[in-house]
Amino acid sequence: MKADLVIDAKGLSCPMPIVRAKKGIDGLESGQIMKLESTDKGSLNDFRSWVKQTDHELLDVQEEGGVYTFYVKKG
Amino acid sequence: MSIKTITVEKLQDKIADGENLLILDVRNPEDFQNWKIEGKNVQNLNIPYFDFLDNEKAAESHLSKETEVVVVCVKGGSSEMVAEMLADQGYDVFSLEGGMQAWGDFYTFQPVVEDSDISLYQGIRPARGCLSYVIASRDEAIIVDPLRHIDRYLQFVKEKGLKVVSVLDTHGHADHISGGPALAKELDVPYYLHPYDGIHPIDMLPAGISYEMVQPNQEFKVGSTRIKALHIPGHTLGNITYLINDRYLLSGDSIFLQSIARPDLGGKGETWAPVHYESLKRLLELPDETVVLPGHFSSPHEADENGLYTGTLGELKQSNDGLRKVQEGKEAFVQYILSSLPTFPPQYVDIKRVNAGLLQADEDKASELELGRNICALSQAYDD
Repeated sequence: MKADLVIDAKGLSCPMPIVRAKKGIDGLESGQIMKLESTDKGSLNDFRSWVKQTDHELLDVQEEGGVYTFYVKKG
Repeated sequence: MSIKTITVEKLQDKIADGENLLILDVRNPEDFQNWKIEGKNVQNLNIPYFDFLDNEKAAESHLSKETEVVVVCVKGGSSEMVAEMLADQGYDVFSLEGGMQAWGDFYTFQPVVEDSDISLYQGIRPARGCLSYVIASRDEAIIVDPLRHIDRYLQFVKEKGLKVVSVLDTHGHADHISGGPALAKELDVPYYLHPYDGIHPIDMLPAGISYEMVQPNQEFKVGSTRIKALHIPGHTLGNITYLINDRYLLSGDSIFLQSIARPDLGGKGETWAPVHYESLKRLLELPDETVVLPGHFSSPHEADENGLYTGTLGELKQSNDGLRKVQEGKEAFVQYILSSLPTFPPQYVDIKRVNAGLLQADEDKASELELGRNICALSQAYDD
């Protein structure tokens, strides 16, 4: 999936992945896609909850070797 | 601004002292629904931490500058961020060090009695409602129903200068991972379990752990104290209660303070309920002044003014719904119990497998299986 913004949050623990995501997505236009990578297992539930409370859409989540990759479309 | 943090030990002290506290839980609503910190004068508020990223004053309408606020999250990172924002807004606020993970792993030991012949301590794991016991007499000790963080028990007996002579499990637990086998191995002392609970009731497979078989009415000695094993099948087939000096009853999962144990966690509720009745009836024949010390509690409101979960059999005969039903006879009891069963937590089958040595669980898996409060009682005394 092609992303308009790629954020590396690997090695960061909660709350930083979401803090970075929020900062990143604030700079995008509606409809653009952000890709964020995190190694924090808790990110998974947090991203799901976070998008529920916002207009953004979680397009896809992938996990490989302990790295979670989130694709979020700005609402 | 630097923020104030609070340890789980200090938080427990505040809760036990009945201080008015507002717990601001900044985890996901789903996690909050699953389990939270409870206490007599504890109020809970759930606002996820990411809401504060959009609006630093997300909690403003719910908070008062007069009430202490403790912010909690999963591990203590997000709560620091939110606590800092609130401190800047002038609130009296702490962040819980280590978050709910630390709270879930926290144990406290409270003395039930301490005299020259016998000392008895209740080991309390508040987050899960699990209780374990250390019986000590003349520098010797027996540990009953230890939970999986065995270092807590090792440290406690070391502080008290006690030599552990054996480790007992009242039964094969379904709601939590037993620390019994590991603790006994570490201390190089025997671990006792009733052989009926050495068989996984749903898999019908023999346990992979090694244990000594408890015999009905077997007596254990620790210092000058006598402990008698009473076999009371019902919650499990090998369910045991331990009667200490004919006075203190470690009731395990049989009689709780507000309720009684459920008979269906082995998958055979209808068959086991009448057996459970006969066992409870036998326990009710003990003297009214018998001090009941259960294996679980359902609500922190059950604690007495010393923070202990205990009551006399005479009191419980009057106040405990399940025990009142026992006094109405077998038919009424069985009908009551089978119509009052809470949902069967699916992970309890796996927990029994871990306890029987049929399944391995690393720290992550163990935490996941043990999430939330136990559901071993027939009716839960939740406050909300």
